[in-house]
Parts: sequence; C-alpha cells; structure tokens
Amino acid sequence: MIKPVLPCLMLLTASAAFTQVLEPAPAPPPQPPPQQQGNQESPDRSGAGAGDPAGGMPFFDPGTETITWNGRSWNIANNRIFQARFEKYLNAPEETEEQDGEYNAIISQILSLLQPRNVSPKSLDEAFALLPKASEFRRDAGLCDTISNQVYSAWQSQRNRDRLLAANNALDEERRRLERNKLVSLDRLRLSMTRDQRGSIRGDRQQAGDDRTTQQKLDDARLDASVQPFDTRIAEVLAIRKANEAKREMAALQAKIEFQALIVQLFLQRRFEHVLIATRFYRHVFADGDDRLRVKGEAKDLFDKTTGLPPTVGTLDSMASEAIRDVAEGVEAFKFLMEREETESASKRLAEAFLVGEYLPPIRTLPREEKRRALTFVQKANQLLSALDVKDYARAEKLVAELEETAKDFDNSKPMAAIQTAKTIAAMHLAKARNAAVSGDRETLEIELKAATEIWPRNPDLAEVSSGIFTQGNVQNQALVDLDQLLSQKNYRQIFDDKERFIAAVAHDPTRQEQLRKVLEEMTLIEGAIIRAQEIEKRGDYAGAWESAELAFRQYPADSKLNQLRANLTTRAADFVRSLRQAEELENRGQPGSSLAWFLKAQHQYPNSEFARQGIERLTRQILPDAS
Amino acid sequence: MARRSRSSSQHPWLIAAAIVLVGIFVAGAVYFATTSDPYRTAAPLDVTAYLENSNSLRGNTYRAEGEISNVLGYSATEGRLISVTIDASGEIVPMLIPPELGDVNIQKGQKFRFLIEVTDKGILKATHLTKA
Repeated sequence: MIKPVLPCLMLLTASAAFTQVLEPAPAPPPQPPPQQQGNQESPDRSGAGAGDPAGGMPFFDPGTETITWNGRSWNIANNRIFQARFEKYLNAPEETEEQDGEYNAIISQILSLLQPRNVSPKSLDEAFALLPKASEFRRDAGLCDTISNQVYSAWQSQRNRDRLLAANNALDEERRRLERNKLVSLDRLRLSMTRDQRGSIRGDRQQAGDDRTTQQKLDDARLDASVQPFDTRIAEVLAIRKANEAKREMAALQAKIEFQALIVQLFLQRRFEHVLIATRFYRHVFADGDDRLRVKGEAKDLFDKTTGLPPTVGTLDSMASEAIRDVAEGVEAFKFLMEREETESASKRLAEAFLVGEYLPPIRTLPREEKRRALTFVQKANQLLSALDVKDYARAEKLVAELEETAKDFDNSKPMAAIQTAKTIAAMHLAKARNAAVSGDRETLEIELKAATEIWPRNPDLAEVSSGIFTQGNVQNQALVDLDQLLSQKNYRQIFDDKERFIAAVAHDPTRQEQLRKVLEEMTLIEGAIIRAQEIEKRGDYAGAWESAELAFRQYPADSKLNQLRANLTTRAADFVRSLRQAEELENRGQPGSSLAWFLKAQHQYPNSEFARQGIERLTRQILPDAS
Repeated sequence: MARRSRSSSQHPWLIAAAIVLVGIFVAGAVYFATTSDPYRTAAPLDVTAYLENSNSLRGNTYRAEGEISNVLGYSATEGRLISVTIDASGEIVPMLIPPELGDVNIQKGQKFRFLIEVTDKGILKATHLTKA
C-alpha cells in the first residue's frame, strides 16, 4: 500500500514534474496536480513566491500549520495520508541495526569522495564503485544503482560524442583533400587551354578573333566539367559533417536532460542525499559549466517561483543540503522540547522534519521510545481534527481537555474558539427554531433547524428540541382536531374545561380564535349563571336559584353542568316549577285564563319570580290589549 | 241530700232546652246564610277544574266568594282585571270586572261575592258582585 501512496505524499508532484523535463522531445501533456489530498489543498500560487524563506524547500508556516509547495498550500496537520504515515512512523522502530549503520557509512563515504574540494578522477571512480554497493541495502531502494546507470549512460554518450568528433575530423581532412585536388585540376586545365590559344593567334586576325571567342566558351565548359565532381563531393562532406555536429550536440543535450530529470526526481522524492550524489557526479560528467536545468511547465515553475532564479543543478544541490540541515535541526528541537514536556511543539517539529526528511538518517534513527511519547498527543490531536472536521463538538471539547492534560504547551484557543462559536451559533438557531415553533412559522422552523443541524449535527440539544417541537406540534394539531370536533358537537363545556390547551392551539388561527372566543364568552355567562344560582341556593331560595339556572338554560340548553344544576334545583322547588310549567303549557294551549291563574299561583309561591311577573304581564296585555 | 236530689232532677230539662235553643240558632243561622247569598242559585266555581282546563267550563256561570289580591290591569273598554283569592280553595284566579260594574270600588283586601261567567278564552268575567 505504501508504494502507491508514496508518490502522492512525496511532495505530490514528482511524477508530473518528471514527465515534463525532457525538453527536446515532445513532452506528454502536463498532468494535473494530484487531487487525492485536495480537501486540504488551497491553491495559493501568488503566495508561494520568491520570499519563501526555505529557498525552494516546502515551506512550513507555523502560524497556519500549512506547508507551501509548488504554489499550493497544504495543511500538514489535517492531511489524512500524512497523519497515517506519521503515526506509522511514530510506531516504527528506529533503524539502528548494523546494516543501517553500514549503509549510512557508505553514503557518507560517497558524499565525502565527491566533496568539491576533494574530488579527483580517482575519487570519482571510487565513489562510482561504491554506488552499486549502497544500492544493495533495502533503505536505498535501488536509487544508487539508478544514479550509477545514469552516470554510465552519460559516459557512454560522451564516448559517442567523441566518436562523432573523430568522424568530423576525418570529414574535414577529406574536405581539405578535395579542395586541394580541385585546385590542382584547375591549374592543369588552365595551362592546357593557354597553349591552345597561342597556336590559333598566328593565323588570320579576323578569323582569329572569332575563333578566340568560340575557344573561350569551350574552355569555360571544360573548366566547369572538370571541377563539378569536386564541388559535389565537398558539399556532401560538409553536409555529413553538419549532420554529425548536430547529432553530437543532440546527444550531449539528451544526456544532460536525462541526468537532470533523475536529479529532479530524487529531489521531489526527498532523497536529498542522493540528490547531492547525483549533482556532484553531474558536474564531473558534464564539465562544460552548463548546469542550467532544462525543465518546463510546472516543474520549471516549481523552481522559478520558489527561488526567483532560473533553476540549476547547483540550486538543487544547495536546497538538498539545506533540507538535510533543516531536518537535523528539527529532530534536535523535538528531543529538546520532549525533555521540557512541551509535547505539542515537539510533535509539530517532528512532523515538519518528517515531512521534509522522511528518508534522512536523523529521522530514521530516532528511537521509538522517544517517538511514542509524542504518539499519544498526535493521536488525540488527529482525533480532535477529525472531531472538528465532522463537527462533533462535544467530543472535540473532551479531546481538548485531554490534550491539555497531555501537553503543557497545548494551545486550546483555536479549537475552543471553533467549538464555542459553533455551539453559540447552533444555540442561536435553536432558539430561533423554538420561537418559530411557538409562533407556528413552520418554514422558519425548518430553516433554523436545518441550520442548527448543519453547524452541530450531534448537538444533544438538537434532538431534545426537535422532539419537543414535534411533540408540541402533535399536541397542537390534536388540540385543533379536538376543538373542531367539540365545536361541531356544541360541547362548549368541554372546550371551556380545556380552554388553556385550546387557547394555545389556536393562537395563530384567526378563524378558530374567533370561534373559541365566542364559546368562551358564552361559557363565561353560563358559569356566571351557575355561580349565581348556587349562591341563591345556599340562601335556601331554591325557587330563585332554579329561576336563575332556568334563565341560563333557556339560552344554553346544551350545557351539561347547567342542566345538572337545573335538574337538581327543579326537585327542590318542585311546586313553583310545576306552577310555571303548567302556566306556560296552558298559555301555549290558548287558555290565558287558566295560564294566568297558574302564573299568579307561581308568583304567590315565589313573589320575586321574574318568569311569573313576565307571564302575568304578558297575559294581562293579551286579555286587556288596550290596558293602560 | 234533699237539695241534691232536687237539683239532679232539674238537669235533663235544662239540657234539653239548651239543645233545642242551639238547634234553633243553628237552623236560623243556616237559613239566614243561605237566604242572604244573592247568587246562591248558581253553582260554586270548581277552581281545580278551572286550573286544569278552563275551556271545559266555557259558557258556564258560577258563583264565588273571595278576597281581592291585586288589580292586574285596567282598560276603559274591557274593564278591570283583578286577581282574587277564592275562599273555598285558597287558589288565586284572575277575574275580569267589566265596565258595567265600574261603579263598584274594588280594592285589595276587600271580600266580594261574584257571579261569574267563563268566557271563550277561559277568562272569568264577573257579571255581578257584592261585598261579602
């Protein structure tokens, strides 16, 4: 699994850059920059400019925890592939076995032999001889062999060029010989033509002039015919020589480009020791002083935009040296910070050093026990990033607390700011959702709930509020259904008894509000009548109590409570009630005399009877229509 | 002893004479009473029947005696409507005093004897009345 992932991780653009190095040959179309880590990528070409303090190295900005490389910014702390590799590295044992030491020694020896101040043909050969030996180690991954092959190919190319040079020298000699032969041939021909002309002058002068003109033409033709083969051959030789010259230059350029491509590839793979080895061989193989890198496209931008200068082999050499030094310093800083128990800073310094110098000895030989001290922090930090990534702020808050215990220097300001901000905004949306629910604004309710969910999907209050709101909605709907049913049944008593529920339910339903208002007004009157009747009953005035209840009953005959009270009072004022009913019955039957007698009897039984008074007045007007 | 025998022998005569006198008095009173009611020939008003269904009494004439309870209304054309507590039953009935009897002063608490007629609508209409 590592192998496919490596090219992606190793500065992500290695293959793309490599494929665009061969300048003379038609380059394949530029590959797009890798997108598999695009979630952490933020194109920032303008920002990655000449001011890069790392001088072309992947530049880490501690403020944003991003690394700038090739005009793009990457958050190294929030990159899943990097996290996985870094955790794997922290768990891996240190490479301090015998063969690791032997390999490091060989590489050091090669570099020492290729030191510019020490280098000689002998040291060059010794270094070349060590390359196959170094490539036998697993850690080398055969890169020294690749360098060795490239150096050998360059030498072969150089030998070919020498052969072409020899061929050109031979062609030059051939050209010179042809030119000499041509001159000699011309001299001989001219001499012969001069003798012929003298012989013809001794004759007739007129005739001689005509003959001379003719002879001149013939001589010119002979002259041309005699030098033509020489000219043709010289032209052929020159053409062959030019072709050889072009081949020679092309071969030299091809060899350089191939070598440079290897160096760039090694650099992009962060094999900085191998970059140093390759650049130093390059300088001796191609000793013409032309070390300009022939790259184009994104590979050219990579160097142009980071150094601001045309890329050269020397640039790569110095950048590789700088990287090796930077990694060594990072590892030292890690050790120092771990001694101070400043785990967060230590972990970050180690992560930075690991990112740049994953294959360098200071990283590979770091003891596992020291690395594991940072592992716990790194794991929790990664979990924190994941929690923040999925907006699980409750877990993130818990992890922040744990990280504070783990690392004395852990700065909780950023995660806590993110957590608190998200919580506050989610709470605000929930509050708005509650208000919308209360006011019956379903559209706003849905929008606010959605917003709150997006901000903090696992907010425990979210489930509670949603449940409450939906329950409330159900209750409200149920109340409205009940109200409609009770209204259709004219069961105002039940509505009155549950008035709090119905008032809340119809708060935003004007039609039902009006219906409920009328019902409650009626029920208030009924309740008033009932209370009055009960008060009168308490005084022992049953007829008066009945009359009060009857008065309300005639207006609201469906009210059960009033009906019940009226029935009870009817038994208590039976004679009076019977008199009134008899009176009304007879009145209805068209017997005003008997009816009036009953009303009079009722009034006699209960002198304050309003019904009796009204009945008497009504019948009196009937009997005496014009009574005054 | 002799005085006691004389007095006990006089008692039966005295008792008999007293009974005769009382009988004469009662008979006289009854006679006076019956002969003093000017409407004694009319049937007394059956108040209970009237209260139950006045229509059944329509067109009939009755006599009644009672106390004026109240004056319910007055009409120049129809007369006065009063309520009367009938002595015999204690029930209160309405009664119309037509204008023909307008010369009789009628006040609450006065007792009258009435000769009454049950009209079409079951209204008791006095045709004659005298103070009792």
